Amino acid sequence: MNNSDRTPETASVNLGELLARVDNDRELLCDLLSIFKREFPDQLTSLQTAVAGNDAAQAARVSHTLKGMLANLTVTKAAASASRLERLARAGENSSLGDALAAFEKDVQGLLPEMESYMAEARP
Amino acid sequence: MRILIADDDALSKGLLEKALACAGYEVTTVADGRHAVECLSQPDAPRLALLDWMMPELDGPGVCREIRKLREQSYVYMILLTSRESKEDIVAGLESGADDYLVKPFDAEELKARLRTGERILHLEGRLVEAREQMRFKAAHDPLTSLWNRGVIMDLLGRELTRSQREHGCTAVLLGDLDHFKSVNDTHGHLVGDQVLREVARRLLLSVRSYDFVGRYGGEEFLVVLNNCRPDSAMARAEEIRKIICTRPIQTDAGLLGITMSLGLLLSSDWGRRPADELLREVDGALYAAKNAGRNRVMQAKPEEPRQRVPAPQSAAERVR
Repeated sequence: MNNSDRTPETASVNLGELLARVDNDRELLCDLLSIFKREFPDQLTSLQTAVAGNDAAQAARVSHTLKGMLANLTVTKAAASASRLERLARAGENSSLGDALAAFEKDVQGLLPEMESYMAEARP
Repeated sequence: MRILIADDDALSKGLLEKALACAGYEVTTVADGRHAVECLSQPDAPRLALLDWMMPELDGPGVCREIRKLREQSYVYMILLTSRESKEDIVAGLESGADDYLVKPFDAEELKARLRTGERILHLEGRLVEAREQMRFKAAHDPLTSLWNRGVIMDLLGRELTRSQREHGCTAVLLGDLDHFKSVNDTHGHLVGDQVLREVARRLLLSVRSYDFVGRYGGEEFLVVLNNCRPDSAMARAEEIRKIICTRPIQTDAGLLGITMSLGLLLSSDWGRRPADELLREVDGALYAAKNAGRNRVMQAKPEEPRQRVPAPQSAAERVR
């Protein structure tokens, strides 16, 4: 898979590792990416709402889910941001959640188009 | 081997399913803890389970606690999947009854290695259960004929008599003894004698219903308990049993041997509330009468017809057969 706009340094996904995880099953890779594409926006909105509403418990739950999804797809940097959000939310450090959310949003910026380009390439 | 994956995260579930299917597992998936408990509680449930820690309805540790409460079923080896890394969490997970845990995102090789550990434990458990079942069987059955042994058939008789008294029903008790069996052993040897006993046991089992009991009472003595027996058909059933032994010779290493059986019959409804050992003495008396009357016949023990009684309990070997 090649994409002229993306280099290993700028890519969020560790594609080599992800392909190894799915045992080079491109069909499965497409399925997983489309699940992510479908679920990620709702989860992100839900996280933003929870942080805006100072709902630490909900923020912890959603950031936990996001952390799992991202880690499974080898999006390690964003998974680490989600993990930090979860930790802060569990500790009840509501005042730090806004900044942590902003950092997370920065890490996931451009992620969906990147996923879509992988999907386009992976499709037989 | 079958395995259950319980995970509400479709991505995680998809990856696990792929890894496990590649490793040769037959995978079942559910998306919450309640369904996991439902699936694992079935009699033919998978015995390996990968449970996500955080799930709707019931979390992974909750599933472990529910499954561990079910003592009757086979052991289920459960692995919790967690992205929690703190020691307290892991301790809490294991204390809920999980056997192991795996940190997400999982490494496929580590996952497979941990599942192999689970399979080893399940294999060991299987061997222990098998050994226990064998011990149970040996403790209750006669090793030669695989019929109930004397202790068990006596217990079963006692229970059946109590039940039929309570329900005002009738239990037929048949005590059968092979005629001239000593001469089979003396003439052809004990191995042939054993072949005869095994075949007699097989024919007795074939001649009764699934809820009747057949036991080896002594050397060549067999006790048959016919539950819920109609009094007017008891003699006919006893005759059937006698005939199933004598009508066809028994194939042995010494050739075909004609074998007959004398039987004493007793109907519990004739005797009121009497203990099992007392009724056994009566049916033994009827068997003795059948022997005296020429063998290969059934005699019924009846309270209103006093017979010549055996002066003292004798073993089969002591009697003239």
